[in-house]
Amino acid sequence: MHHGRAVGFGLELVRLPGRDVHRVTQGTADGILRRRERPNTTPYLLIAPNLVWLLLFMAGALVLLAITSLRGYEPGGRGILETWELTHYAQFLGDPFFLGVLWRSLVISTETTIVCLILGFPLAYWLSQLRGTARAVLYLAVLIPLLTSAVVRTFGWMILLSNNGFLNKTLINLGILSSPMRLMYNETGIIIALAEVLLPFMVLALDAALLNIDRQLYDAARNLGAGAVRIFFQVTLPLSMPGVISGSVLVFTLAISAYVTPALIGGPRVPVMSTTIYQQGIALLNWPFGAAIAFVLLVTLILLLAVLSYVGYRFARAA
Amino acid sequence: MLIAVNILILLYLVAPVIVVVATAFTTTAYPVFPPQGFTFRWFERFLSMPEFTEAIRRSALLALSSTTVATVLGTLSALSLVRYRFRGREAMSAFMLSPILFPTIVFGLALLVFYSRVGLSGSFAGLVIAHSVLTTPFVIRLVMASLAEFDPAVEEASRNLGAGWWRTFLQVTLPLIRPGVLAGAVFAFIISFDELVVTLFLAGPDMTTLPVRIYTYVEFSSDPTISAISTVLIVAWMLIGVPVYARFLSVKH
Repeated sequence: MHHGRAVGFGLELVRLPGRDVHRVTQGTADGILRRRERPNTTPYLLIAPNLVWLLLFMAGALVLLAITSLRGYEPGGRGILETWELTHYAQFLGDPFFLGVLWRSLVISTETTIVCLILGFPLAYWLSQLRGTARAVLYLAVLIPLLTSAVVRTFGWMILLSNNGFLNKTLINLGILSSPMRLMYNETGIIIALAEVLLPFMVLALDAALLNIDRQLYDAARNLGAGAVRIFFQVTLPLSMPGVISGSVLVFTLAISAYVTPALIGGPRVPVMSTTIYQQGIALLNWPFGAAIAFVLLVTLILLLAVLSYVGYRFARAA
Repeated sequence: MLIAVNILILLYLVAPVIVVVATAFTTTAYPVFPPQGFTFRWFERFLSMPEFTEAIRRSALLALSSTTVATVLGTLSALSLVRYRFRGREAMSAFMLSPILFPTIVFGLALLVFYSRVGLSGSFAGLVIAHSVLTTPFVIRLVMASLAEFDPAVEEASRNLGAGWWRTFLQVTLPLIRPGVLAGAVFAFIISFDELVVTLFLAGPDMTTLPVRIYTYVEFSSDPTISAISTVLIVAWMLIGVPVYARFLSVKH
C-alpha cells in the first residue's frame, strides 16, 4: 500500500482515521483544519451504490432464504406454509441418504483439492522459476483453460471419459486394460474433471506464494550443504504455506459448490450437495427443503474454512 | 525430470480444450477423439439453428448490460477502498469481494426465492442484477491492483492545482487506471457470458442464454455441434481475453 509510505520533497504524510489521506505542505495548514472539522463523506458515497446492491440482492436474498428454510411445506397442496419449523433440517440430518450426499460432497471436494495440490505444485514451482517471455507463455497456458467455461471443459471430459472414449481406448490399446474402465457416472470421473477445471486457481495461488520466497534463501541452503529434497521440505514447502492454504480454501470452496461437472459427469446416480439443492429447488419446487440443504452446505463450509484458517494461522506463527 | 512431469500436467490441463476443438471438425455424427476427416458442417449447422443464434444474442446483451453495471459499481468501490481510510474499510473490502467465494448454487436458489417475492422472476433485469453481483468483485480486484500501482501524489497535485474531485477523476485517475478497468470489464464480460449455475435457476424458458442452451443440449444428447459452438467461444475468449490480460500484466510488472 502506498498510503503508509512517506515521500520526499518535504511532504509529510498525515493519516487521519476515518478521513481522507492528506499529504500536506506547511502552507496549507488551514486547509487541514477545515477538513478536520467535517468528516470526509467521499469514501462512503463511492461505496454506497455497490453496498446497497449487495445488501439488497445478496444479503437480503440470503435472509429470505434463511426464513424460507424455516417454513413448513406441503407438497402438491398449499406449498410453502406460514409456520415456523425445523422439520427440513431434521429431515436432512435424520436421513442416511442425505447425510451420505453431504459426506460424498466432502470426500469429492477433499480429493479434488489434494489432486490440485499435487499437480499444481510442480507447475507453480516451474512458473515461479521462469522469467520474461517463458513465464508469460506458461502463465497464459494456465490462464487459457480458465478463460474456457466449465460447461465446455466438462463436455470435453465427457468425450474423453466415456466407455469407448479416448482414455479407455488408449489404455486398452496399450494393453493396460482388457475391458473399458467406467469413468463416467462415478466419483472418479467427477474428480478427474473437477480437478482439471479448478487446477488453474491452485497454480495461480501457489505461484503468488512461491514468488514471494527470497531466492537467496535457496542459495544459502545449498551453500550450507542441503540437498534438493531437503531444500524442498525445509525451505520451499514451509514458506509457500500461505499459498497452499489460500489455494486449498479456494479450490475446496469452488469444488463443493460446483454444479456443472458433478451434474454432467456424475449424473443422477451420484448426487452431491449442489445437484441435490438444484433438484429440490427447480425440479421438485420444494424451496424450504432446498434452502435448508443450502444452509447445511454453507455452515459446513464456514466451519471447515474456520478450522483451516486457524491451522494456517498457527502454522504462520510457528514458522 | 521436473519439466517432463510438468508437460504431462499441462497436457492434462489443456486436454479437454484440445478435445473440444478437435471434435468440432470430425465427419462422424458424434464427437470422437481423435477426430475423423475434416468438415465445417457442424459450424454451418450451429449457425442455422435459431435457438443457438438467439441464445448468443441474449447472452451478449446480458453480458454487456451486467458488465456496464459491474464496471461502474466496481470502479467506484475500488477507488474508495484504495484511496481512503475510513471506519470499517477492511470489513467492507471483505464483504465486497465475498461474491467470488460465495457458493453460486446457494446464491442461485436465494435469488430464485427472492425474485418470486419482488416480481423479478424470469426477467432479463433479474439476470442483469445477478450477473453484476457475481462480476463486480473481479472489477474491484483488478481496479484496486491498478490503483495501487501509481502514486496518489499525482491526484493530490491535480487537486492542489484547483481541479475538483470529478475533474481529477476523469482527467488524472481514470486514464491511469484504464488498463485495470478494461481488464476488469473484459473479465466481467467473459464471466457473465459463461455463467451457468445462477442463470439456470433464474432464466425462465424464454430467457435461455448460450451456456444454458449448451448445458441442456449436452445433458440429453451429444453431437459435434456443441464442439463447434465451444470452439467459437474458446477462440473468441482467447482473442479478447489474452491481449487485455497480457497488457494488464505488463502494466503491473
